[in-house]
Amino acid sequence: MAEQHIPKNTHTTPPMRVKVKILRYNPETDKKPHWETYPVEAQPSDRVLDVLNYIKWYVEPSLTFRRSCGHGICGSDAMMIAGRNRLACKALLRDVVKDGGTLTIEPIRGLKVEKDLLTDMEPFFDAYKAIMPYFINESPPPAGERLQSPEQAERMAHSSNCILCACCTTSCPIFWVNGSYLGPAAIVQAHRFIFDSRDEATNQRLNIMNQNTGVWRCRTAYNCTEACPRDIPITTIIEEVKRAVMYQQS
Amino acid sequence: MYRGREGQWAWLLHRLSGLAILAYFLLHVVSISLIMFGEDVYMAVHHTYDLWPFRVGLIFVTAGVVYHALNGLRIMVMDFTGRGVAYQRQMWYGVLGLTLLATAYTAWVNIPRILGGY
Repeated sequence: MAEQHIPKNTHTTPPMRVKVKILRYNPETDKKPHWETYPVEAQPSDRVLDVLNYIKWYVEPSLTFRRSCGHGICGSDAMMIAGRNRLACKALLRDVVKDGGTLTIEPIRGLKVEKDLLTDMEPFFDAYKAIMPYFINESPPPAGERLQSPEQAERMAHSSNCILCACCTTSCPIFWVNGSYLGPAAIVQAHRFIFDSRDEATNQRLNIMNQNTGVWRCRTAYNCTEACPRDIPITTIIEEVKRAVMYQQS
Repeated sequence: MYRGREGQWAWLLHRLSGLAILAYFLLHVVSISLIMFGEDVYMAVHHTYDLWPFRVGLIFVTAGVVYHALNGLRIMVMDFTGRGVAYQRQMWYGVLGLTLLATAYTAWVNIPRILGGY
């Protein structure tokens, strides 16, 4: 009988021992947020979401955070990991902390913290709704599809990749101090429709962008571009919208 | 502290230098308007500007004005061209280098005068 060769240890790399320091807040018992540290042993290739799940399932069940698909598509687990906004499901442990080091995890900034890492996303989605994030074309639909050339599709390719995770908007220093600023995510969404060759509400959206809560609040700090887990060139997109508003007004 | 990269620090320095220039400008407006209260008052205040803290401050004012002006040009290039956004980091290091050069030259000219008391 042939001998089966099953490796006893499937891990190819030794585990990491890290201290996970989480900014926790319980509105029923705490006046303000406080840090709590959990020692964790994990693989370098584990995601930060795996570590948070481990803490929630085996150490501290009251730890609260959003997660859904766990694969960087739903955009629900945006948080400030090691000082920068990231998706917990896309950040590998080895990329954010050294063996024996401390990994800090905080809620995203500029939105009210409901509990632990869970923030009130309503203002973020209000800004999204403000840019009319739906296709507007009053002309009668053709028999087939409304066609676009590859070049026209390319014009809105980057901005249509947005998953509304809020990593960008909540990394923006202007948004931190001025919550009425629509923020990078809403501008990216506006760009998606403004530069859609089939959409007919370009002027309306450019007028929204021209308001004092709109695109001119951007001070090009580039935090949004660095934070985007979908690698959308957000500042480039915002600058394109700024120029479109300027040419519309001139 | 959010761990932003060059763009965040460029923006923060631009804000701080802008506020410093505004404060310097307001100081000008106030001290020049003192002539309304007579030459003695005007001169008394202006003589204090010969004290060393103000003259050292002048070096920092130069640094602030040069940074704010050059970074303002960087922002214009970014606003009007896509290539400006692509090269914003390199441009910022250029702005910093030129600001340091201008500040060093101002210090080189002014520090001997401050130490010499003239």
